[in-house]
Amino acid sequence: MSMSPAMKIHEARGVSDMEKFFNPSSVVIFGASNAKFNLGAMICKALRDAVQYPGQVYAVNSAGDDVAGAKGCQALEDIREDIDLAVIITPASVIPGLIQKCGARGIRNVIIESSGFSEKGEEGRKLQNEIDRLARFYALRIIGPNCLGVLDIERRFCCMYGAEEIVSVLVRHPGPVSYILQSGGVAELVGERLMDDRLGVNKMVCIGNKSDVNEADLIDYFDTDHTEVICVYLENVKDGRKLMRAVKKTRKPVLVYKSGKSEAGRAAALSHTAGMAQNDAVFDGACRQAGIIRLQSIEELHALPKMFTRMPLLSGNRIAVFTTSGAFGSVGADLLAGTNLVMAEFSDETKSRLSRIPGVFNAANPVDIGPAPPEIYLEIYNILLTSGEVDGMLHLAGMWRDFVQDVMQALVGFCRRQRKPAALYAYNSMGKLLAARQEKELPVFYTAEEAVRALEVSYQQYLYLDKKEEPLWKP
Amino acid sequence: METIIQKALKRGQRVLSEYDSKRVIQSAGLAVNREKLAGSRKEAISIASEIGYPVVLKGCSDKAAHKTEMGLVKLNLGNAEEVAKAYDEITGKGVDLDGVLVGEMIRGDREFVLGLSRDPQFGPCVMFGVGGIFTEAVKDVTFRVAPITERDAGEMLDEIRLSKLLTAFRGKPAVDRRALVRALVAIGDLGYRSREIAEIDINPVIISGDQPIAVDALVVLQRTEEGESGR
Repeated sequence: MSMSPAMKIHEARGVSDMEKFFNPSSVVIFGASNAKFNLGAMICKALRDAVQYPGQVYAVNSAGDDVAGAKGCQALEDIREDIDLAVIITPASVIPGLIQKCGARGIRNVIIESSGFSEKGEEGRKLQNEIDRLARFYALRIIGPNCLGVLDIERRFCCMYGAEEIVSVLVRHPGPVSYILQSGGVAELVGERLMDDRLGVNKMVCIGNKSDVNEADLIDYFDTDHTEVICVYLENVKDGRKLMRAVKKTRKPVLVYKSGKSEAGRAAALSHTAGMAQNDAVFDGACRQAGIIRLQSIEELHALPKMFTRMPLLSGNRIAVFTTSGAFGSVGADLLAGTNLVMAEFSDETKSRLSRIPGVFNAANPVDIGPAPPEIYLEIYNILLTSGEVDGMLHLAGMWRDFVQDVMQALVGFCRRQRKPAALYAYNSMGKLLAARQEKELPVFYTAEEAVRALEVSYQQYLYLDKKEEPLWKP
Repeated sequence: METIIQKALKRGQRVLSEYDSKRVIQSAGLAVNREKLAGSRKEAISIASEIGYPVVLKGCSDKAAHKTEMGLVKLNLGNAEEVAKAYDEITGKGVDLDGVLVGEMIRGDREFVLGLSRDPQFGPCVMFGVGGIFTEAVKDVTFRVAPITERDAGEMLDEIRLSKLLTAFRGKPAVDRRALVRALVAIGDLGYRSREIAEIDINPVIISGDQPIAVDALVVLQRTEEGESGR
């Protein structure tokens, strides 16, 4: 494979040059002004108000005005202090000139949020090629263009515009889940849904047209930081093998939702094989090969990560269904039938232990109980999780009685000690469920389907961990 | 193998003939049906008796991608007379042929497809799936990025919807999985190594007893320029 010398330098650079995208001690915002609806000003406000960014912020605008606490100046040359990161939100046409100035000044990290590049026809593509060339020349790294930028909850940095309301809530609960999103809209969806589900975001990056930094670079980086779960939304893959290599390298779960499934194969293909090698079928195989958990809906991006952060991995396929309603016992069994998980079979001993408990209607799987005090719940959990016949639990309970939250919380602790997960779902009292999620950080799922998916992906990750070997091909 | 491909490229061929395609996959380690290229009616009869009846005759050319539709395939020929008649019919179609392939007639109920394609983002990819004439209608296939491990290949076998066809089926023995795994790994290696190969289609691979035998194959070539990546 031939490569230009500049290309080689680019490839050789590692995760260390991602650091200043997330943790800059100073940032300059090109295009932040006090004009009405100015997006740069929104970024300055988010930095000051939503995340209370501790570093220095400069706003470059023609008037040299201060903007929402950011020190104003007319040009980069007016700033004498060191600058770690440049955020550009100006008309696209002036951006090559700004990159040149940043490069000459020694700034190595640039986020271009403006649109008007490869997504916008031939002229835009030319402009993007120009910034690519400049980035290589100055050995600087670019996120974007055409993106919403970066959010680091842990270190209180945000250059996303229009996200102030969401970010000021998310920032209260830093956590272990990081997002790589090829869409600002998906960032808004995920961010908003997480406001009432205390998942705990670590970082969020919108990668836009990914002229330079792409999903593989960021997976490599998230492998080295406090992230525990990596969630990705993709519209296209630039370098499939680089993505696979990055995923094979990390032991953290990588969850990907990819849109564009219906993309047609190459019409000119001569063989049946090439005719059937549609992009999505190949991507699907690559996911299984590399160990990517492929998500089935965009909602799973925010719904499923808690299964990894709050529960141990599912290390076998035998599931005990626990319910306070016979109907949901059947629903659970039906849902499991569509997966590679099975209903655990109980030994006679387990069955007789269960049948001796008052209030147990069905002492087989699904275990169905009637009205019962909390001790009964705990006793059943204990029997199931220590029987040696169960690898995980599907908990489909009604929550109208207040103590159910408490027994669920006890169950979470019990699961961690036994190294066996439970997926929790409640079929009533949604208000209580949401409160329980917020106050007690219970990993409760919104639907029974979601709870079953959570078990499924947990088991998938367990199986993937067994084959995290180096790929056979050369980088 | 290299010389087959190099020669074909020099002649400006876009694809290899069935005979040459099979030589390429055979040298990679795949089992193909016994066959020889006949240049005359007499030679066809002599090859047929050497292989043993019944036999198959096929017109062989890099220009004949749709042999069945062109009337260039004659199956299940039981004696010299039938071979002679089939030979005359095939050579009488007016197609420019390298010769007529006289091959062993492989019988089996289970047919699979093995293949290789190149994806713009992932490069060479191995395919496995249900083969035969319903390949595209059934569309039960799975892919891996080449080269692949034996473990990847084993997962491919289990991943298709009709994976039960690989187990003991209607009185037939379970398919020799190791043979299929070796074949898939070999196809991946071939595609990863040979930049001149754009696509490979091996369809059908018929399960004879418990062994997979390739009875038709197509190798599609591509011109590569100096320094260009094979992916």
